[in-house]
Amino acid sequence: MRNVAIVGIGHSKFGRRTDVDLAELAFESIKGAMEDSGAEKKEIHNVTLGSAGGWYEESLPAVLVNEYAGFEDVGTMRVEAACASGSAAVRSAYLSVASGESEVAMAVGVEKMTEVDTLTSVELMGRSGSYLWEFENYGMTFPAYYALYAVAHMNRFGTTEEDMARVAVKAHHYAAMNPLAQFQKEITLEKALSSQVVSWPLKLYDACPITDGSAAVVLASEEAARRLTDTPIWIKGMGFSSDSANLSKRADFVGLRATVDASRKAYSTAKIAPKDVDVATCHDCFTIAELMAYEDLGFCAKGDGAKLIREGQTEVGGRIPVNVDGGLKAKGHPIGATGVSMMVEISKQLRGEAGGNRQASIKNGIGLVHNVGGTGHYCYVTVLSRSK
Amino acid sequence: MPNEAAPPTLRSKRSLTLRFNIPITKTARFWDDLREGKLVTTKCEDCGKLSFPPQADCPNCSSANSTWVDLGTEAELLTFTYVQITPTSFVDHDPYVVGIGRLKNGLSVLAWMEGADHTKLKPGAKLRLEARKDSEGGPYYVFVAAP
Repeated sequence: MRNVAIVGIGHSKFGRRTDVDLAELAFESIKGAMEDSGAEKKEIHNVTLGSAGGWYEESLPAVLVNEYAGFEDVGTMRVEAACASGSAAVRSAYLSVASGESEVAMAVGVEKMTEVDTLTSVELMGRSGSYLWEFENYGMTFPAYYALYAVAHMNRFGTTEEDMARVAVKAHHYAAMNPLAQFQKEITLEKALSSQVVSWPLKLYDACPITDGSAAVVLASEEAARRLTDTPIWIKGMGFSSDSANLSKRADFVGLRATVDASRKAYSTAKIAPKDVDVATCHDCFTIAELMAYEDLGFCAKGDGAKLIREGQTEVGGRIPVNVDGGLKAKGHPIGATGVSMMVEISKQLRGEAGGNRQASIKNGIGLVHNVGGTGHYCYVTVLSRSK
Repeated sequence: MPNEAAPPTLRSKRSLTLRFNIPITKTARFWDDLREGKLVTTKCEDCGKLSFPPQADCPNCSSANSTWVDLGTEAELLTFTYVQITPTSFVDHDPYVVGIGRLKNGLSVLAWMEGADHTKLKPGAKLRLEARKDSEGGPYYVFVAAP
């Protein structure tokens, strides 16, 4: 396998983007990533699109987006790994370059979720499990799945609703400094705690919003990367794993087995330990998910997630800054775009381009992307580095 | 720019309603028995693996020799939630409590918790699994508090 670097990044404004259609939205990031990389369109051999779909009118988003962007004769596909579709797209493009098939490839993530009404989005996400046994008779929702984990975690480790609210306050704090984030305002602990119950114990401010957005990365072989950029960000390891479709088949509900397994694989390939990571994006679709990620990724011991957030260790200046772009919670979570957006954020952090009070201190030159699909159904963990 | 005055959109004239015909030939016994008030599931005759939901092919040894056994009804609550915001197709329902309970045989089941008050529930609560029928006669199952 060859070394592969991220040489270009693009990112749309996240939010309720009724001003653009799917292809226009994807193009905002494609254009940004192309310009950032300096690559020619004809050099791009492979364009992989991450998009879960179902909430927008198009059935073949990959070819539609390529047509709009003017990519001709490219190898392409849409990939789906639920909320980890973006990482799946990066993985596919990465393998194309790493194998020698492509010199330069692009991964695009896009989701247009606000073309249907909110409760229809809730319905489509609630069907992300084992339909006949979880949805047909029992009407599970995405918040409900994570609430099952929150209750178990609270019961086992004494994690509180206030601990979870702290994650939301942190997310909004950093989103307010990120012009591309959906939410631009800080919130208080009281506001988070008094928000409407969605699926107890999770409240409105424990949940990520419904978001339109896109992100794109250009990946290159070592030879192409040397030609295109002075600041390549190397993909040092990608681990992926999965867990049962039906939640009731899982042994416990205090962590995601797929995260533990995927991160172990990624650390092993990259030959690093959790303590080597300077900055991370963790999959905080719900506040409890971020606390569990701290533990499952090895940033703290199992059950100590709440302690980490209480001590401020995951803020800029702390031991391991997490989601200092606002996270899914406040930057927004356009399902298929999220994994690519995380790659963009960690690339910015490692390049030192995050800006202002969002920039983490980079000591080892190593960042981590943790992207979960569904309720721990899929997990992709990617280690990025300034050195190859 | 987003989030300011709402930009114009074109509302599609073509609507799409999806209802699925889900094949249950290989697990028909489960639904037939449930309609009679009984809860059963599959056990592999070759390796002894119990499965819930029932499945014709063994996920452990791939054998197709499955047999039907009693699922059991006594369970212990592992976790739960109170679903206050319900999906479109459940808008006519009152909010509901969903729990996952572990049966004596080690299998777990996700179901509504009939009559449960989420503010008083705790993991570890003793439950019983019971069969029910909806207003159209469709069979399903619920957890109730064990007496």
